[in-house]
Amino acid sequence: MIGFIFRRFLQAIVVIVGVLLIVFILAHIIPGGAARAALGPRATKVQIAQFNHLNHYDQPLVKQFWLYIDGLVTSFNLGYSYHWNQGVTQVILARLPKTLVLVGMGTLVAVIVAVPLGILQVVRRNKPVDYVLTSLSFVFYAMPVFLLGALLILYFSFDLHWFSSEAPQGATVLSILSQPRSLVLPVFTLAALTIASFSRYMRSSMMETLTEDYVRTARAKGAGPRRVLYVHALRNAVIPIITLLGLSIPAIVGGALVTEALFNYPGMGLLAYQAITNTDIPLLLGTTFFATLATIAGSLLADILYAAVDPRIRYAK
Amino acid sequence: MLALSVIVAALLLAACSSSPSSSPTTAAGSGSGTKVAGGTATWAEAPNTEPNYIFPFMSLAYFSVANINQFQFLMYRPLYWFGNGAQPTLNPSLSLADAPVYSNNNTTVVVKMKPYKWSNGETVTAQDVLFWVNMMHSDKANWAAYAPGFIPDDVKTLTVDSPTQLTFTLTASVNPYWFTYNELSQITPLPIAWDITSTGGSAGSGGCSAAAFGTQDAKCDAVYTFLSKESGYDPANPKASNNSLATYATNPIWQIVDGPWKLSSFDASGNASFLSNPSYSGSPKPTLAKFTELPFTTDDAEYNALVGGKINFGYLPLQDVTKPTTNPLVPAGNNPRLSTFTLAPLYTWSINYFPENFNSTGDGGNAGVIWKQLYVRQAFQDLVDQPLYINKIDHGYGVPTYGPVPVTPANPFSSSLEKNNPYPYSLTKAKSLLSTHGWKVVPGGTTTCTSPGTGATQCGKGVPSGAKLAFNLQFASGNASQEQLMNTEKSSWAQAGFNITLSQGSFDTVIGNATACTPSASCSWELENWGAGWVYAPDYYPTGEEIFSTGAGSNSGSYSDATNDHLTVQTNTTNTSLTAWENYLAQQLPVVWQPNTVTAMSEIQNTLHGVLPQDPLWSLNPENWYFVK
Repeated sequence: MIGFIFRRFLQAIVVIVGVLLIVFILAHIIPGGAARAALGPRATKVQIAQFNHLNHYDQPLVKQFWLYIDGLVTSFNLGYSYHWNQGVTQVILARLPKTLVLVGMGTLVAVIVAVPLGILQVVRRNKPVDYVLTSLSFVFYAMPVFLLGALLILYFSFDLHWFSSEAPQGATVLSILSQPRSLVLPVFTLAALTIASFSRYMRSSMMETLTEDYVRTARAKGAGPRRVLYVHALRNAVIPIITLLGLSIPAIVGGALVTEALFNYPGMGLLAYQAITNTDIPLLLGTTFFATLATIAGSLLADILYAAVDPRIRYAK
Repeated sequence: MLALSVIVAALLLAACSSSPSSSPTTAAGSGSGTKVAGGTATWAEAPNTEPNYIFPFMSLAYFSVANINQFQFLMYRPLYWFGNGAQPTLNPSLSLADAPVYSNNNTTVVVKMKPYKWSNGETVTAQDVLFWVNMMHSDKANWAAYAPGFIPDDVKTLTVDSPTQLTFTLTASVNPYWFTYNELSQITPLPIAWDITSTGGSAGSGGCSAAAFGTQDAKCDAVYTFLSKESGYDPANPKASNNSLATYATNPIWQIVDGPWKLSSFDASGNASFLSNPSYSGSPKPTLAKFTELPFTTDDAEYNALVGGKINFGYLPLQDVTKPTTNPLVPAGNNPRLSTFTLAPLYTWSINYFPENFNSTGDGGNAGVIWKQLYVRQAFQDLVDQPLYINKIDHGYGVPTYGPVPVTPANPFSSSLEKNNPYPYSLTKAKSLLSTHGWKVVPGGTTTCTSPGTGATQCGKGVPSGAKLAFNLQFASGNASQEQLMNTEKSSWAQAGFNITLSQGSFDTVIGNATACTPSASCSWELENWGAGWVYAPDYYPTGEEIFSTGAGSNSGSYSDATNDHLTVQTNTTNTSLTAWENYLAQQLPVVWQPNTVTAMSEIQNTLHGVLPQDPLWSLNPENWYFVK
């Protein structure tokens, strides 16, 4: 396993450099470039030239990329964002905890709710409960996040005054968690779609698992329905959910743009979006760097969890 | 006699302070109710416009309304304040100095300071002004409003005559109006305590504030570098990591203010709170105890907070306007969920337009020469029906742009010709202009030049036979109204055979493309619309030398006209009024004039008074605000 992780680590470095290089090139071929984006329409040619010189944008692209990687490796310096007047690392680290809380809680709630729901649908297969839950899954899966969020705000915030229309505005994890009422609507908005998706995967995976030979053997040996379901079938049925969870890790770091925008919660998703619209190249590269790290970590985590859940899975040396 | 003078003065003041028809008649402005001392007023920042720079001397990267008018001005007052009620004119009562006195054929300017105080006890003196101008001299390239040949280049000498008086000697005669509105307007006096190069340095140790004008550039640059770093930006090494924003509210440097407010908390997301400055020496003094600015991720989030009662002063997103108006200055009615708020449209001191590229090699190499023909530009403008677009697209909340000087907000500068639209919508006239100049007009198709030459009935100099009126127009994406406007205008232009191909790009892409260039293969853009035109600040006197003069830094389309250049120079250097210049340019069409959508549909809680009329330069004056019960 250690050898496997080491190999994946080496692959990760290549992936990160490759992704950064692609984004770097794409970002630098945008007309106008960073100088126009930072200085605006009033900027003269002289001012743009001065800006480009100061920020090395007048250097060959290869040299710019080398300077960027050098800063990243030697001092973890991701550059400076003119839009935020801060170092990119500081801008990201200020928003990352917010996103980790919101998307992390949304994913956690989704797993806690979706797995039992999927099992319930299998147990009550082709019964009214199954039909209702399936229909609801389709409704929530098909509903755009902004619509669901807007409806929740309209009803639970404007009309009933139960919850705030804003997510918690604190900057630290503790201050965010200290406002649970403000977390309800954004977390539910995020979780609803994930629940719909996860529960469908859980249902089909569980149904498939229940047809396996070893399940029939367990039944033949006299295991009760609960034991068959929770001891024999669940571990195997949950593997697709682990895959989905692994794929969710980038979202936990990358943020949830629409939910963040709707609930006034400036997290990573919105930050990446603003970096794109503001042509904030250092910030764009920084958010890409973190998203790439999260994708690699999520994929690795899923692989490790497979092995933990299913002893048959072993990674070759 | 004295009593009579007081009454007359009071009447004059009342007359001056009454706004034109922009003030709603209900609540929020100056309605009844018992004034309450104290309280916290909360104001909504527009998305993506969080303040992020506290040092008033800044480069273009930080030069914004959010940083200057809505943040720095609360703490650090400019030498001359512009925005007087609803008019974009000099406000003597909020200025730190008396009106400048011009003499010697307008080459000498004497500025006399009023007795203002900094919060550390220092007096705001003439030396504080010299400090700023010295920094301008040493760091021209880092001062956002600098343009070659203008201040400080046009200042020959600057002497501090006494703590309360200084004298500018200029290199040439100027129009006093222009010099006050566009040059002195840039100055913000700085406290001597800021003349340092390290934390804890003694006041004046930087050697910039006391130096004779322009003699200590190196020292002033060191002070500039230090203060910029304290504000978050290292001019020598922009990539250097820093966390200065987190210290804005605690850094003793930034706590020295001459304005009515002191920053009490600030974070990098744009949350800012101010407490009233107890030692503010101006008038009026704040009634509110605290003023808070809140950032929002989107218009929707702001609207939700407004409905939820979280903010006292916000704005209604244009998409949430429920009743169209027939008068852009008077709302037809408020959004039903905001019945406890007063709706007040704000139009800032700006014009909207997009440039044609007069040097373009697009359209088969003919675009530039075609746009140089006045009659083509006239035909193009004739097909822009601004009043109709304002009614249909902006719900009535917009004002037309008919020339280089804004017609709204009400001001003493716009001429009657501009107000009356020299080019009202006329398809007949547009077609006629083209057909009488040798073009075969093909409605819905592409109009083509069939009679090349320079005669009165021919296409004009440089336009070859077969040249087509087919152009690419790129506009900034992300704004549904703008997209609708562009599509509507495209249809209108098509009626006379202007074949316009629309495309969208990000704002940055559009302004990146809309760069002045000389005729070459790479200079092929034809029409670029970033959707925001020009805001006259801090060039409050709208003489347009930065946008329409030959070779000017922001003359994107490379418009060049000797008469315009001459008239512009006249507005800068003589007492000539703006009328001749603005009338000429309104008719010459250096750009395509476009409707100017309302800047903000302000929503003011009915219990918050003193907000109206709103400042057309979008400055905030919460020292005027108070709650009533």
